[in-house]
Amino acid sequence: MSENELSHLIKMANQIASNIGIGSTEEDCVKKVVTHITAFWALPMRQKICANMEEFAEDLNPIATKALLEIQTNLKAA
Amino acid sequence: MLHFFDPRTDLDSEIDYGTPPATFDPTPDAELISLSIDGNEVRVPEGTSVMHAAAMAGINIPKLCATDSLEAFGSCRICLVQIEGRRGFPASCTTPAEAGMEVKTQNDKIGKLRRNVMELYISDHPLDCLTCPANGDCELQDMAGAVGLRNVRYTGQSAIPSHTHLDEKKDTSNPYFTFDASKCIVCNRCVRACEETQGTFALTISSRGFESKVSPGQDDAFMDSDCVSCGACVQACPTATLMETSIIDKGQPEHSVITTCAYCGVGCAFKADMKGDEVIRMTPWKGGKANRGHSCVKGRFAFGYATHQDRITSPMVRDSIDQPWRKVSFEEAFDFAATRIKGIQEKYGRNSVGGITSSRCTNEETYLVQKLVRAAFGNNNVDTCARVCHSPTGFGLKTTLGESAGTQTFDSVEKTDVIMVIGANPTDAHPVFGSRMKKRIREGAKLIVVDPRSIDLVNGPHVNADYHLQLMPGTNVAFVNAMAHVIVNEGLEAADFIAERCETEAFHEWKNFIADERHSPENTEQFTGIPAAYIRGAARLYATGGNGSIYYGLGVTEHSQGSSTVMGIANLAMLTGNVGRDGVGVNPLRGQNNVQGSCDMGSFPHELPGYRHISGQAVRDLFEDAWKVKLDPEPGYRITNMLDAAVEGSYKGLYVQGEDIAQSDPNTKHVEAALRNMECLIVQDIFLNETAKFAHVFLPGTSFLEKNGTFTNAERRISPVRKVMPPMPGLEDWQVTLGLSKALGYEMHYEHPSEIMAEIAALTPTFSNVTYERLDEEGSLQWPCNDETPDGTPIMHVDGFVRGKGFFALTEYVPTEEKVTRRFPLLLTTGRILSQYNVGAQTRRTENSSWHGEDTLEIHPQDAEDRGINTGDLVSLASRAGDTHLRALVSDRMQPGVVYTTFHHPETGANVITTDNSDWATNCPEYKVTAVQVDKLISETASSEWQNQFAEFTEQQIAFIDK
Repeated sequence: MSENELSHLIKMANQIASNIGIGSTEEDCVKKVVTHITAFWALPMRQKICANMEEFAEDLNPIATKALLEIQTNLKAA
Repeated sequence: MLHFFDPRTDLDSEIDYGTPPATFDPTPDAELISLSIDGNEVRVPEGTSVMHAAAMAGINIPKLCATDSLEAFGSCRICLVQIEGRRGFPASCTTPAEAGMEVKTQNDKIGKLRRNVMELYISDHPLDCLTCPANGDCELQDMAGAVGLRNVRYTGQSAIPSHTHLDEKKDTSNPYFTFDASKCIVCNRCVRACEETQGTFALTISSRGFESKVSPGQDDAFMDSDCVSCGACVQACPTATLMETSIIDKGQPEHSVITTCAYCGVGCAFKADMKGDEVIRMTPWKGGKANRGHSCVKGRFAFGYATHQDRITSPMVRDSIDQPWRKVSFEEAFDFAATRIKGIQEKYGRNSVGGITSSRCTNEETYLVQKLVRAAFGNNNVDTCARVCHSPTGFGLKTTLGESAGTQTFDSVEKTDVIMVIGANPTDAHPVFGSRMKKRIREGAKLIVVDPRSIDLVNGPHVNADYHLQLMPGTNVAFVNAMAHVIVNEGLEAADFIAERCETEAFHEWKNFIADERHSPENTEQFTGIPAAYIRGAARLYATGGNGSIYYGLGVTEHSQGSSTVMGIANLAMLTGNVGRDGVGVNPLRGQNNVQGSCDMGSFPHELPGYRHISGQAVRDLFEDAWKVKLDPEPGYRITNMLDAAVEGSYKGLYVQGEDIAQSDPNTKHVEAALRNMECLIVQDIFLNETAKFAHVFLPGTSFLEKNGTFTNAERRISPVRKVMPPMPGLEDWQVTLGLSKALGYEMHYEHPSEIMAEIAALTPTFSNVTYERLDEEGSLQWPCNDETPDGTPIMHVDGFVRGKGFFALTEYVPTEEKVTRRFPLLLTTGRILSQYNVGAQTRRTENSSWHGEDTLEIHPQDAEDRGINTGDLVSLASRAGDTHLRALVSDRMQPGVVYTTFHHPETGANVITTDNSDWATNCPEYKVTAVQVDKLISETASSEWQNQFAEFTEQQIAFIDK
């Protein structure tokens, strides 16, 4: 895994959270980010960021972190 | 369905009616007036000229200065008629038809008068008809015949030699047409076409009386004048005065085929004028509903690339990019590619390969490529070049309005009262529509321009912006929020429309959000640089000025918040009730000819054709049943993700059709690193483009002149592309994709592109009534075209939004991470110019390079002075991504702190500078905001390190071709 690709994914997750994870409740914000990433990111991208998110936890904003944790759970359940 | 006479659509586009049709509302209540012309009763709309009425009755009154693309002028005196009860012989072009009128178009007296007038014209006209380039297509010759001229008593040459125009010199400065003033009859048609049709006002009549002559500017040569070489004057000229050089060289065409231009998203209809299988001229077709008979320098003249010597017409393969190419048969190339792709998938996994469809190719071709990826590759790693231009439009409009497309027709601009142009430069990038927009502005529509640069629309001939909101790049969302804030806080919203048409809860949440003081123009001024008063004025104008329309381009989408701005634009339109009728709407101006179509055809990795998400079981069932294959329910990689994965080493194979990511995509070094990592790069193109230099398989492509298919323009108009010459490589592009797919083990069966369209229609509800037969009948169709809307849908969201209720999306302003610093104190924004198109692969191989032979860096005089830079100096342009060298153009079109360049020439390396920042929702690159430094170079010949490497690599790769 190149740092370049992962750093892009982290940046993208943060961007999504900043742009769409706004308004209403935190639960709703997280849900919107989960829905967006699940709908638009390829499976390998979701797997990569979820597999490495603990290492880069401090680089992720809170909504993005919560959304990725939920995506991680979904991936395990699938 | 009842049909009422509509002069816009019910006239024969092959007939010149002499004057434009009257403005007419085709409803049952609209009345026609009745008059008699040569004893025939004619019923026409009020406001129709006598000349036009006669032509409708099949009576062609002789004329010279009249043509139905221009307003009546009444100068030639050939079209005289007699009207019962009136004195004299009025010009039929300037005389409105009236109820009960009795018109005589021909009698001895009229005939004599016409012959006398014609005799005067011919007295100052060379009598070289047999060797004249207009022979066979000369209205003067036709009219001399029609009026029965048999003798010319006034031989100007002998009577007053100094006062004739027979020895006027030809102006051959324009590479595409010649101005031969000796043939001019001063009918003014060229001058009027330049004014009325094109809106450039480059031509005038200089001097007076017999000395009068057509003059580009102040007696300049055409190339030195303001002429933009649109061809409108050439089209309007009734003689050989303004004549295409190709016709002078080769003679008149012997047949014509109507087809669709392959340049920008306007999608102009053209007649390809042919001699055998050679195109000798492209003339704009009057029946084309997108262009209404107008053209630009690209579509009209820049078609020579199709037969350029650089065309590669043989398939080629090689094991690695440091080896020469081997010419092979198509079969060998397909087997070579398929074996490699299968090997890669075996070694690296199913997701290690993918494809890119092209917005320059037809709907049928893009449909097949995405089908190949999904069915033969077995994944959804398919994307399209719309990723890097209008993907935020798809996302933003789908989210808010429910459909990933613009809402209007181009004709709609004729009914608009307030035009807001955001991040678009129509007079350069969509010139034919730009001309129609300028015409409406000259008629009185108000104009708001939102752009960091002072584009031509801001201050042009007879067109001035009421507001130019000159924002800093990267602050679009702050701007659009401020506009909405003013409209909401000043109570200017269309409350009834919102209550009836939009989601109530979402609107109230949004209203609370937008009403917050942080969105006020007084607060956002610190980000945007737009004075608050300007925003307030513009917001009031847009909200209350009548029909408000928004036209936007890549200055909106190519940002880290591109999708947010698109949603903000849709919010503004819904907020003011400017959706769902003529004259209003949200209009994305698409960059390439088939951006809309490539998106419609399922080119995005998360969507099947018709914008239906791949995760939907019912939709997948439909396609699985038709394609006889299991589809992956997961979205695939987008282009940017493909390149990241390639650099990382997990993505190894790519099939690219008609797209040049090595030149057009941002952060060139990153793209090149990704391409060098590929183990099988398949490029299908007409030239060895920049991407092909990294390829292992080259599949020769065909130009739009060599194949059948359809393009879909920015107004959702599906138009036919017709084959006028045989495919130079032997196969059309769709056949090449079929061959590759078969070699991969997934055979597709089509005998003709019409069968591909039939499959698209069967699987895509918005296309279900589209057939080639219907397209032949109608000329074009705007989707949705199905049982509910069998004739297509010119205006969308008329009675309700496609998604049901309109959705107001929250659009928080999140500043881009790309910020100016002490090291990089300027912001670079990139774009394109009139004469060149996209990566320039086509236009650089035409005479269009006479206008723009190299990319230059536009810089504000203050920034230039601070750095000691003058126009023409070689400068370095550097960002955190890379640096390149190019020449400066000091220009007050720029604002201080912002520089601009184009990306038409690969050796410039404009995208060496741009970064990998992208839109949060779609990964559309942020081309429009890059922090840079500009420095004057001491050496006049120095190239940057990248440019040196580029030159060396290019030389090597060209040497590898055995032509």
